Amino acid sequence: MTEFLANESAGPHKAPNAAADTLPKEELWRADLYDLLAALLARPPSGELLAGLARLEGDRQTEIGRHIGALARLASATGEKAAEREYNALFIGLGRGELLAFASFYLTGFLNEQPLARLRRDMARLGIAREEDVHEPEDNIATLCEIMAGLIRGRFGAPATASAQREFFTTHLEPWAEHFFTDLEKAGAAVLYAPVGSLGRAFMKLEAHTFRMIG
Amino acid sequence: MAERKTEATRRDFLKLAGVSAPGAVSALAMSAGAAGAADAEEMSSGTGLRSTEHVLKYLETARY
Repeated sequence: MTEFLANESAGPHKAPNAAADTLPKEELWRADLYDLLAALLARPPSGELLAGLARLEGDRQTEIGRHIGALARLASATGEKAAEREYNALFIGLGRGELLAFASFYLTGFLNEQPLARLRRDMARLGIAREEDVHEPEDNIATLCEIMAGLIRGRFGAPATASAQREFFTTHLEPWAEHFFTDLEKAGAAVLYAPVGSLGRAFMKLEAHTFRMIG
Repeated sequence: MAERKTEATRRDFLKLAGVSAPGAVSALAMSAGAAGAADAEEMSSGTGLRSTEHVLKYLETARY
């Protein structure tokens, strides 16, 4: 993700589509979680993000809420520098981080394979473009989470239908994302990112179950 | 934990944490291209999970 990190100009996203205001709250929670995962996985968290995470309170009655609570506690005890070191050890590393967070790698053992080609076709069909200054392959976990959030909120047009959301999820995330988050949860370098892994794993399971209910 | 506080936390989740999307992707600038047709079909406004009440109920039990 070095190239991506070098491009700080890939700034925050434009204002969300106004349609997002009328979405059911459950849809907004899902979009919020995807955006949170995307923010944490795209680059090392800023001091501001860590401070913001530290203020979160998860609902202790739910698994996802408990993981958010754990993330908040660790965020309050983690400085920006330490978070960056951890991020680099996990995803950048010396030559290579501990994890390679790409669909192609998880599904084929190599980068830039068929899963990326299929994603690019689907992105074109859905009217989603990679920002010009981003050079990292799109099939990384952060971008896939960002796309799911954008589909839910309607960042690329009108909010996506449930079946369009399901198709994207089952094609591009379900085959590998839970496996990746489980690896992240157990990664040797993961401290702050351990609850990120747990949160992502639980959320991917929830999403898979939700989309099966829609059938 | 006070339920009201939790509710507020959930509602303002992103705002509170200062989370913004990484900005790696954006809407494709379309010039009446082929993408338009599929786009309109799959992204019809006002659907999403709205019409599936049992799914919303299920998600409610998993809230954070």
